[in-house]
Amino acid sequence: MTSAPFSLRFGRFCYLAFNVGVVVFLLAPIAIVFVFALNPTPYIQFPPVGVSMRWFEKFFASRDFMNALWFSLEVAVLTTVAATLFGASAALALARGRLPGSRAITAIMLSPLMLPAILTGLALFQTYVLLDVGRPTWGLVLGHTIVSIPYVVRTTLAVLHNFDTRLEEAAQNLGAGALRTYFEVTLPLTKPGVMAGAVFAFIVSFDQFPISLFLVSPGHETLPITLFNYLKFDLDGTIGAASVVSIVLAVLVVVGLDRTVGLRSYAEL
Amino acid sequence: MKATRASVSPIAWLIAPSALLFALFFFLPMGLMALISVLSGNPVVQSNVTFTGKYYARILSDSYYFEVIWTTIRIGLFTTLAALLVGYPLAHWMARIRGRTAYALLMMSVLTPMLTGIVVRTFAWMALLSDKGAINQTLTGLGLIAKPLSLMYNEFSIVLGLTHIYIPYMVLTLVGVIGRIDERLEHAAQNLGASPLRAFFEVTLPLSLPGILAGSLLVFALAISAYVTPILMGGFQIMTLPMLIYQQISSSFNVGFAAALGMVLLAISLALIIAYNRILGMISGQRDLQ
Repeated sequence: MTSAPFSLRFGRFCYLAFNVGVVVFLLAPIAIVFVFALNPTPYIQFPPVGVSMRWFEKFFASRDFMNALWFSLEVAVLTTVAATLFGASAALALARGRLPGSRAITAIMLSPLMLPAILTGLALFQTYVLLDVGRPTWGLVLGHTIVSIPYVVRTTLAVLHNFDTRLEEAAQNLGAGALRTYFEVTLPLTKPGVMAGAVFAFIVSFDQFPISLFLVSPGHETLPITLFNYLKFDLDGTIGAASVVSIVLAVLVVVGLDRTVGLRSYAEL
Repeated sequence: MKATRASVSPIAWLIAPSALLFALFFFLPMGLMALISVLSGNPVVQSNVTFTGKYYARILSDSYYFEVIWTTIRIGLFTTLAALLVGYPLAHWMARIRGRTAYALLMMSVLTPMLTGIVVRTFAWMALLSDKGAINQTLTGLGLIAKPLSLMYNEFSIVLGLTHIYIPYMVLTLVGVIGRIDERLEHAAQNLGASPLRAFFEVTLPLSLPGILAGSLLVFALAISAYVTPILMGGFQIMTLPMLIYQQISSSFNVGFAAALGMVLLAISLALIIAYNRILGMISGQRDLQ
């Protein structure tokens, strides 16, 4: 048994080395994107030959990309508002409404997460064709909202299940009505969950692909669709620059999340 | 009856908007898709529309469609397996790490790729693996290879790209489950003479089975519905079900056949969810977790 400490140390080393490798695997492609965005050559070159801003200039000067970026932001903001309102109120009803069959209803509210989003896109596309409504922005926003609601429901439910219901009872014992208890006790305490859900809804909508694929109208596309169409034919630095812009947005969101509500709460997503 | 109605709080009404939204924009469209898949045409614009099984007959009669369905499932299975094997150790590390800063850094390295967008991450892999990508240029530059290796346009590159994209979902699902397992159980096993490896395989791993199942189901569902990565990494060479569905809409405008293919994808997903719930029920029944 003298070799036990060594095998233990060796095992520990393998464990750490493997995990560091996984982190590198996760982050390396993203680092590569930065390299290509800053590289001045019109094609991919590695190792890089210099640093330039020309791809960022091209990206921000491109009307197609800018229109797509603004349209994506517009859709994401509308989706965030809708998904947060629908999702947070549904979560409250599920956690506090003493609804019969609330477990089944929760499963239904979360089901868009488990079913392929491309089906939601296809089904909505066919419905809009049958109803002959064309491809309106509200139709796209509602599609995004359906797949974002599960995130809001989950984060809000997680907070509602964890908090002390005696606080609500205390408020009511002190004479507050159901509505006042909600606005002065429940809402402030569930805010972190609702906010986290809202951030997720924004990201889900901003990066949404399969639903947009079916529901955008040509010439009026979201950023992921425009990037995808560009990628099919070109592989130059503009895509790199566009990617860096969206990565920076994402990192800002994550850092903001950690600062405001902490990251532990997403461990269950 | 009266007693149950009285116990339902007025807050329950807050479910109504979402219920209506889901009914109109989720279940109704899914139902319409099922209906369209058995109709001979569009009932709104055509008059003599009849029920037909021709789209399903077409899927069943042509082995090409079987091949596409099997490719989709195979890619899903390999992606799920790879994400589990690579993601589990990371999730275990995250669940057991002590420092708050270390945890936050790891969480960020998991969340950053997750929030980066599928198109961007697929571009990253193309930039790495294409004939003029970073790997080939480095190897050529070092004089190790004469002509570029073809690393892209095969099933392996699709699985690689998808694994990278969906690992975060696996890790986030597992971290919570592993974190809830009492570490003292492992210590007890070790005190009783089990090696750390044996303690892991006999205590931690079985207890994290619900997380493994949930994460695997999530990754599989995402992988079989992926569109961007199979197209770009496969270079239009490998056909999957979502690609076929979109092709039917965009180039053939065969809505009925697309709906039938959609129903096949739906059936696969539902079968998995049912199997998942069954297995989860069996596990928690045995151990009485709840």
